[in-house]
Amino acid sequence: MIVLRRARILLSLTAAILLLTACGGGASTQEAQPTATEVAPQAAEPVVLRVGMSGSPDSLNPGNAWLTEATDLFELVYSTLIDIDFDGNYIPDLAESWTVSDDGLIWTFNLAPDAKFSDGTPVTAEDVAFTLLAYRDWADFGYMSGYATYFADVQAADEHTVVVTLTEPIGNMESQVLFCYILPKHIWGAFAGDLEAAVAFTNDEMVGSGPFRLVEYAQGEFYRLEAVKDHYGRPPVIDQVIFQTYANQDALVQALRAGELDMITELPSTVVPSLRNDANITVASGTSRSLRDYIFNLSSPETCPVDEGGICSGHPALRDPVVRQAMAHAVDKAQIIDVAELGLAQPGLGLVPAALGDFYASELKDYAFDIPLANKMLDEAGYLDADSDGIRECPAGMDCAGRQLDIVMQIPSDIGAGPREAELLSSLWGQIGIKMTPQVLEADTVTANCCPAFDYDMLMWGWGSDPDPSFILSILTSDEIPTGMSESCYSNPEYDRLYAAQTVEMDDAKRVEMVHDMQQMMLSDLPYIIPYYQMEVQAFRNDRFTGWPVPAEGSNSILYLQDPGSLTVVHPVQ
Amino acid sequence: MARRDYLLKRVAWSLLTILFVLVLNFFLFRVLPGDPTTSIAKDPRLTAETRASLARRFGLDKPLILNLQGGNPFDSQFFAYFDRLAHGDLGTSFNFNRPVSELLGERIGNTVLLVMGGQLLAIVLGMSLGLLAAWKNRTPLDTGAITFSLTAWSLPTFWLGILLLIIGSTYLGLPTAGKETVGVEFDSFWAQAVDVGRHLLLPTLTFTIVLLGEYMLVMRSSVLEILSEDYILTAKAKGLSHLQILRHHALQNAMLPIVTLIALNLGFTVAGAIQVETVFSWPGVGSLIFEAVRRQDYPVLQGAFLVIAVSVVAANLAADLIYGLLDPRIKAP
Repeated sequence: MIVLRRARILLSLTAAILLLTACGGGASTQEAQPTATEVAPQAAEPVVLRVGMSGSPDSLNPGNAWLTEATDLFELVYSTLIDIDFDGNYIPDLAESWTVSDDGLIWTFNLAPDAKFSDGTPVTAEDVAFTLLAYRDWADFGYMSGYATYFADVQAADEHTVVVTLTEPIGNMESQVLFCYILPKHIWGAFAGDLEAAVAFTNDEMVGSGPFRLVEYAQGEFYRLEAVKDHYGRPPVIDQVIFQTYANQDALVQALRAGELDMITELPSTVVPSLRNDANITVASGTSRSLRDYIFNLSSPETCPVDEGGICSGHPALRDPVVRQAMAHAVDKAQIIDVAELGLAQPGLGLVPAALGDFYASELKDYAFDIPLANKMLDEAGYLDADSDGIRECPAGMDCAGRQLDIVMQIPSDIGAGPREAELLSSLWGQIGIKMTPQVLEADTVTANCCPAFDYDMLMWGWGSDPDPSFILSILTSDEIPTGMSESCYSNPEYDRLYAAQTVEMDDAKRVEMVHDMQQMMLSDLPYIIPYYQMEVQAFRNDRFTGWPVPAEGSNSILYLQDPGSLTVVHPVQ
Repeated sequence: MARRDYLLKRVAWSLLTILFVLVLNFFLFRVLPGDPTTSIAKDPRLTAETRASLARRFGLDKPLILNLQGGNPFDSQFFAYFDRLAHGDLGTSFNFNRPVSELLGERIGNTVLLVMGGQLLAIVLGMSLGLLAAWKNRTPLDTGAITFSLTAWSLPTFWLGILLLIIGSTYLGLPTAGKETVGVEFDSFWAQAVDVGRHLLLPTLTFTIVLLGEYMLVMRSSVLEILSEDYILTAKAKGLSHLQILRHHALQNAMLPIVTLIALNLGFTVAGAIQVETVFSWPGVGSLIFEAVRRQDYPVLQGAFLVIAVSVVAANLAADLIYGLLDPRIKAP
């Protein structure tokens, strides 16, 4: 049986090779993961921290990077003038201190004198001035251009002093420079005035002044950073950190369990209970600035942006604030949080999430979950169910007279728990005589239907807010209706006035009051129902590294373990 | 020269098929509403100029098929696509801002390593098992082999992969992702090869198990059919041993459908085992495609699908020709 014997020989050979590699690799595994005890200064083994993430940076160049994974990397290898801590307070980074003139137009930043780029050249005011002006002049350099719109002029007063003159006094200058990564002039200066070249630059070396420097990068696979031990501000304790991409979340969790990773930046909520049972793993949860929203189509024939392609096909009954308020009374946020987020969220109020601290209008009273009240409101407003089929109709006198309150909620398919959440909403609203049919669509289709087409009744979606509320507040302004940023076609002149006012309000207390007033309007007019603010859930091994900045229970501090504020302070378990 | 005419005709048809695929490829990804700038442009931090510039940068502001706005009517996305193809330019990835050909080139080696290994193992094991099962027809061994093969063939690839990943990682200490351990200096090529081997083990095993069933069952039925032929009975009557019968008569004839199957399957090799690569985060063409689908990266998808289509057509052509060579009964028409 020569054929069979040959097959058998091949089989045993293969098996032997497989076995060899399975066992023979054992030695290299131990080398790759130095144990926590090797911390003595004489040890040759560097202290390496391994982080697992789901995606990967799309570019090393801030000019064409759009993903959060890229931003995470920029935060580690670049500095900005000002940074923000987990409680939302602005803290010094490259700028040790800063002052503003009384008229709010001139900001003076004093730089750390010993700051250096990763190639050894000192960071000077020239680099800062060059960077800020470049961001202003490169009309579409990634997200950066949006932050530089108010810079009239930037001068290097001396080697370590930068003077920024604004076009008008703005109340949130710190949040503008928060993401302006300082680029070395001696490298990027070559692209001054040439946007195409600046964006085409691969930036493989990522010369920056952050607490880490890039040493190895394989796109879509991993990147390896080395600590800058003589960093001017916060030299990391660990020596290296490796961010590895896991295309599959189950593999990500398994890698943490198996000890291949020390921290993972995200995990599916379903795995949380079983991970909590593992003694070596800590699951941390904290506030994030992300929220879920249900959007009402408020566009009418008068407000429809026809020139920009507005279709405005929303159900007219949803334009009635009474209907929206009744629907808000029928939303059981506690139950939704349990079902959709497995309890890992907090009840929402308006577009400004609780994580924004003082800006969040915690004094406002939300619509209580009260089905009888909701039914009463709709009865009194004339939305009766004439044919007793369980669905109300519009009263006479409205343009939708006689039409059933039968609406469709469009849901982008990338919201995993979306269908389950929508099913729950459907049954809740069914109890007040409103029929809602969920429709799951490709995210791009929802985008196309949303704005400025306004070709929908309701949408389920979400937002992630900046630390400063200006951006999230802007999406309810009338100006954003034709641009496609306004998702609901909400138009309130008083809201617009307040928005413009808070942009240039220098007094913090006054600005906070204005932002609170705007949230009051949001709550009364209800262009959105915000069911919850999502919590950030991350996990790490507690037998390897310690010092992870996990927010205290009940606090509104942000959880973000891949932030420089976290990776520069963690140290091996002794 | 009937054979040469046959060859030319088959090659011509293959080229025509490829052309059809190219055209289809272009339209397929533009049929869906929305494009990358819509998804990127959702962020209000982007100014209107940025969005317009993004569209310009990727040629998305040009009309789709024909430019009827005066000037060159061929200045459209469609003809730009063919023009670039003629220069070997598969476009630039929307997400990575690098040439698609570069991205594919980097990853194809990894995919071939994974898939070839899996295919070879599956072929060898599948054929051996099939031959054995056919020979030991109607015994418990045969039944066992069929059950095993059917189960293996019907297992969902990603499910099997995750299962093997968890078992392999927990009990055998095998790595969970990537091609090599990151941040380690290898002293020798052998050390590096062993590391890659450890990363390759589970994905290859998954791939093999999933393919194995198909080869086994086809081989088994092919051999069974041949063993029932008259000439086998004649050979037995002539006093040839089992080995001689199997080797000289059965095997070669049974190989025919298998060769076709192998050639066709190999054509799909470069499709990368999308599921396997994604489960094991193996940096190949498959995971690139998965990522590109997620982020609507048309140029990458177009480029990858083009390469796959050409491979499949070429493999089909090869299968036809090999079959014609192997089987003397097939005369060139």
